[in-house]
Amino acid sequence: MSSPLKPLEGNWWGLPANRHEKAWVRISVVWGLILFGWMVGWSFFGNQNQHGPTYRIEPAAYRAKLAAYREASTVTERGLRPAGEDVYIAAMRYGFDGLPVILKAGKTYRLHLTSYDVQHGFSIRPEHALSKQISLQLLPGYEWVIPMRFDEPGVYHVICNEFCGIGHRTMHGIFIVEE
Amino acid sequence: MAGLLLSGTYDAEGFRTCSVTGLRIHRDVERYVKLFALTAVVALLIGGISAIFVALTRWEVIGLADPPAFYKWLSIHAWNLLIFWMVFMEVAILYIGGPLVLGRPLPAPKLAGVGYAVMLGAALMINHAIATTEAPDNAPLLTSYAPLPSPPLFYLGVVLFILGVIIAALPFFITIWREKQEHPNRSLPLVSFGAFITSIIALEALLGGLITYIPTFLWRIGVVEHIDAGWYRQMYWIIGHGSQQINLAAMITVWYFLTHVVGGAEVVSEKLSRTAFVLYLFFINMGAAHHLLADPGVHMSWKHWNTSYAVYGAVLASMIHAFAIPAGLEAGRRKRGLGGQGLFGWLWSAPWSNPVFSATALGIIMFGFIGGISGVVMGQTQLNLTWHNTLGVPGHFHGTVVLGTTLTFMALVYFALPVLFNRDLVFKPLARIQPYFYAVAMGLATIMLLYLGVLYGVPRRHPSVMSFPGTDFNFAAASPLFAIFGVAAILAIIAGASFLLVAVGSLLFGKRVENPALVMPPLISGGSDDRPIHEYSMQGTFTLTLIFLAVFAIVYAVNWYLLGRLWAIG
Ligand code: HEM
Ligand SMILES: [Cu+2]
Ligand SMILES: [Cu+2]
Repeated sequence: MSSPLKPLEGNWWGLPANRHEKAWVRISVVWGLILFGWMVGWSFFGNQNQHGPTYRIEPAAYRAKLAAYREASTVTERGLRPAGEDVYIAAMRYGFDGLPVILKAGKTYRLHLTSYDVQHGFSIRPEHALSKQISLQLLPGYEWVIPMRFDEPGVYHVICNEFCGIGHRTMHGIFIVEE
Repeated sequence: MAGLLLSGTYDAEGFRTCSVTGLRIHRDVERYVKLFALTAVVALLIGGISAIFVALTRWEVIGLADPPAFYKWLSIHAWNLLIFWMVFMEVAILYIGGPLVLGRPLPAPKLAGVGYAVMLGAALMINHAIATTEAPDNAPLLTSYAPLPSPPLFYLGVVLFILGVIIAALPFFITIWREKQEHPNRSLPLVSFGAFITSIIALEALLGGLITYIPTFLWRIGVVEHIDAGWYRQMYWIIGHGSQQINLAAMITVWYFLTHVVGGAEVVSEKLSRTAFVLYLFFINMGAAHHLLADPGVHMSWKHWNTSYAVYGAVLASMIHAFAIPAGLEAGRRKRGLGGQGLFGWLWSAPWSNPVFSATALGIIMFGFIGGISGVVMGQTQLNLTWHNTLGVPGHFHGTVVLGTTLTFMALVYFALPVLFNRDLVFKPLARIQPYFYAVAMGLATIMLLYLGVLYGVPRRHPSVMSFPGTDFNFAAASPLFAIFGVAAILAIIAGASFLLVAVGSLLFGKRVENPALVMPPLISGGSDDRPIHEYSMQGTFTLTLIFLAVFAIVYAVNWYLLGRLWAIG
């Protein structure tokens, strides 16, 4: 009788386990190794890794950087055309500073992401395929530099998906990827 | 109320012997278990009402609440269900796993009373603060992410609540201490051991909570000038995730308890089941890093290390329990000659019409297949990109804390009604189907949340997504799934209300039962031969767990496929 309600005496640690239970534990260990191995492997052979340096920066300093970047970019009526590979974007209540922006398909850009005030979300998807989407967290005081390369041209929508106040649901921006 | 808490007749030392479990139960233990459990049920009621507003706002065909009201209802929802319903119940579970199972009196019952009063006061304070939130403050939701300010009273309430829980847990710790002093050479029963592990995880989480909320309160009232968002997130998740681990460990403890008492389960390997609990203790706190996978400021290798750590430690622990609990049922029932020799006879013949059993079993199945698999998948560093802050996240945790823990705690209430409150259930046919009704409706609603999140990228914490003011962008393509979600959510709320109806109805109008064993036939004893439990066949369980692994692998592969189609990142 092995009841979970009775204290144990004697050498219960020495009792053997059923062979199926032992097999399951082994399978689980192997499965855990596969999960880990694939995840770490993806950092090397996969194309989607939220990898990039973070710098501490005051919102005011970032605003100045973004203004200088805007100076250097070409202003069109559909949005900014960045001069180089760097793209500066900041979330704030309730919009995205730096958007809309026009990017070239197939070119790798460095996205510089931060927030001016509270925590925000940076959730991106192309207009033609809602299922192709990712989200990042944006924090005030941190500038996150993440490289991205968009191969499919189209309009990409950005929404905030971290609660940031009563106007949270209105936070939306776009960028355009052109051939 | 007092009458409900004081039923039963006790001997001169204040004990009675339970006819269902055979345990010697002390009056004070019983009284406080009932008090905490009843309070939990009240929180479930309040949370259930909020679920109406949350679900029917998200189903925009109905669109019940405007944004400010939605955020308040969502905060009420999170705090009353995830925190008050669960934590009041967990203190009751500590008292069950400690003094009740060990047959000891409740030490320092005054502390239990003080802890209860502080917890209750703090819970009222938090609800009040949420309901009266005004600009510049925002409704806290669950996470009150700084630097977005929440009402000062809210932070204070949280600090008090944490202190109240610590006080209420002290009698449990004293019990374990005294038990070990008196019996240094015997090990705790598994249920007590599980409760003990739960309590240590709880203590870690609660201390983390104080480290988070005291400075945040000081910042909110202006004593501290600056609060760093990254610091807050790291600290917050010590309690934010730690408390989910409390839910998990408490739930698994209840699984071992109830499958044994009403299903005839035994512990097939004390060594493995206890090792699994210890793995939780060591590994799960690091696992909290999975909340920061889409964050700046922490490096990829840090993310990998912590999430892999959790995969090795905590997921392995859950996989062990996932086998050990059904296997306990299989071997225990085979030993008792229940259900014949076939692969699954032990399962089909189980007491499926007893809501204590069915709610527990459904909780185990739903937790594993929906909550468990989704959790591991979204906890992989890169896959998290496609899950983070979408409705897939509430989808995941409605799989864990609702389909798993809430169903399990409902089972515990169904069990306590005759056994501790001496009340027969009213509306028996309703009680019989309620666990199925709830599991199916909530299961469907949860799967819809998962699809809406991962396949459509619909954000969580949004009152509406069918229009974005000032643009023509929207998620209207997802509206059929929202319709299924809405209908399923209404049914789930009705199923939840059915539970409350049976529980409260039985308390108020249930026939008094002097001998609960007559209405809740225990399966503890039985089984004539003396073969050790591990020698019985566990082939049925092995088959089931292999099916589980297959589903797990498929979901895993599909998620990586979805991620791999995306543009290049990093
Ligand atoms: C019939 C029952 C329920 C329904 C229909 C329901 C529905 C929902 C929905 C749709 C959301 C997502 C809202 C959004 O992010 O926009 C949500 C959030 C949540 N639910 Fe439930 N829920 C139910 C029961 C529960 C229970 C029993 C618990 C806890 C034990 C729970 C805990 C939570 C939590 C913690 C959140 C997240 C709040 C936040 O974002 O801060 N829910 N619920
Ligand atoms: Cu925002
Ligand atoms: Cu927002």
